[in-house]
Amino acid sequence: MIRFVDATKVYSNGVVGLKNVTVRVEKGEFVFVIGASGSGKSTFLKMIMHEEAPTSGEVYVNGYSIHNMPRSEIPHLRRSLGIVFQDFRLLPNKTAYENVAFAMQIVEASPREIRRQVPLALGLVGLSKKAKAYPNQLSGGEQQRVALARALVNNPSVLIADEPTGNLDPKTSWEIMDLLEEINQRGTTVIVATHEKDIVDTMKKRVLILERGELRSDEKKGLYINEN
Amino acid sequence: MRRKVYISMKIRTIKLLVKEGTSNIYKNKLMTTASIITVAITLFFLGIVLLLAINLTSNIEVMKRDLDITVFLNVSATDFEREEVATYIDSKIEEGVVSQYRFESREVAFENIKNELKNEALLKGLTPAHMPESFYIKLTDPELSDQVISDLTKFSGVNTEYGIGYNKDRLERLEGILKAFNYVLIFLLVVLSIIAIFLISNTIRLTVYARRREIEIMKYVGALDGFIRLPFIVEGLLIGFIGALISYFLTHHAYEWLQHMLNSILLNLGYTTLRMMEFAPVAFRIFVIYAIFGVVIGGIGSMMSVRKHLNV
Ligand SMILES: Nc1ncnc2c1ncn2[C@@H]1O[C@H](COP(=O)(O)OP(=O)(O)OP(=O)(O)O)[C@@H](O)[C@H]1O
Ligand SMILES: [Mg+2]
Repeated sequence: MIRFVDATKVYSNGVVGLKNVTVRVEKGEFVFVIGASGSGKSTFLKMIMHEEAPTSGEVYVNGYSIHNMPRSEIPHLRRSLGIVFQDFRLLPNKTAYENVAFAMQIVEASPREIRRQVPLALGLVGLSKKAKAYPNQLSGGEQQRVALARALVNNPSVLIADEPTGNLDPKTSWEIMDLLEEINQRGTTVIVATHEKDIVDTMKKRVLILERGELRSDEKKGLYINEN
Repeated sequence: MRRKVYISMKIRTIKLLVKEGTSNIYKNKLMTTASIITVAITLFFLGIVLLLAINLTSNIEVMKRDLDITVFLNVSATDFEREEVATYIDSKIEEGVVSQYRFESREVAFENIKNELKNEALLKGLTPAHMPESFYIKLTDPELSDQVISDLTKFSGVNTEYGIGYNKDRLERLEGILKAFNYVLIFLLVVLSIIAIFLISNTIRLTVYARRREIEIMKYVGALDGFIRLPFIVEGLLIGFIGALISYFLTHHAYEWLQHMLNSILLNLGYTTLRMMEFAPVAFRIFVIYAIFGVVIGGIGSMMSVRKHLNV
């Protein structure tokens, strides 16, 4: 469960990234975060993963409080999250399989667990056949699937995706979104920042709209409303 | 509501990370080689100066042991005059100024001269009665010699014609050299260590840069700080250790060459007690000093880099 309580982020250069945001996301929810460029979507997600801490207010994630979080707790928070980016961030010198396995080595899973879990994760994203391929041998959509498998392989309770389809064509974008929905249906909380108007309107999920750092609306079965 | 999960690193993980640190060494050959050479040269110069200082110290000790004040009494000196001097020396023993002394009687002096001068003609007519009595006095501290010598000249029985023998100058010269060596040692230690640390830290920085994508992903997935840092620390320690190892062999050979050369020079100059010691007895000590120094420099260098550039 994630809770923002009057959370504000002022960057060191004085720019306000997020302003007095209070919101609650329950376990198992699927939430879109939308808004114009610079409205604070990435800032919102960065607070959840403690890449940025609130300058005032509080953010609670899976029982951790992000404000004044001790350094030693950050790895534990991150282990409860799966994170996906627009630019995939795969290691070019590792195969799809190795990229996913890497995430398990880092959390010190045993070689047996790794051999069991990695094929399952690749299977879940529909990439079993490309396990041995290197990132430059994969399409953008396939690369994002590998990134998803890597985010999911350690069984996080929350998946955070910052414009996961930003680099993909509409058809591939839909495939990735369908996959995110499937993951959500298996019980993982999913939070997606996006600009994809059509997809948001069609999927009818909860939508948070940010505007200049403020939470402008929070609709249960929302539509992509352009604030202009 | 806070959860605290304590996760310590497993042996398997540590092995993996050590292996990774080791392989970093190969990836960055040029800088790594430069760092290793720097550590080796640093240690080489430090080691040679250190060995010379050890030699000086031990030679100074030998000289201090051999150094004594030689006091001849007048040939005509009475028993009373001799006892005066002996009493004075005894009082100095009690004060802790004199460590020990030896008295040489007329008879012993006569025997000695007989053994030295094998020439019968020269000995003709010479009896123990012609020989002076003498004292050989060892001081606890050569610095106290001036006072003792000036005290001794005041006794009527003491022969001051030829002066009271004490060869302190050479000792003082050597002590002066030792002091200079110690300054050079400290100077080299500071300057060369800084250079070595800087180079190692720069090498590690390049590795951090080369692996920045991996590091970023590791952070997002929730790697412990130690997990991310360890390979870099291992890399630094290895650079330091390999440098130390190379330097040890260099030092060993250079020292033995120096030892032979200086020993023959000393011998040619007529010094029989001054000698350069063998390398073998100090080999282990030098090796340990090198290993520790190399590892410490490597550790500091990589820590600095990791703190500054890794941000974990
Ligand atoms: N590290 C930073 N330092 C200073 N200002 C920042 C930083 N990161 C973001 N900002 C500013 O904070 C505001 C919100 O940025 P944020 O990245 O959250 O927007 P966004 O909604 O994700 O935009 P986009 O759709 O373009 O990704 C912007 O004005 C941005 O310039
Ligand atoms: Mg953004």
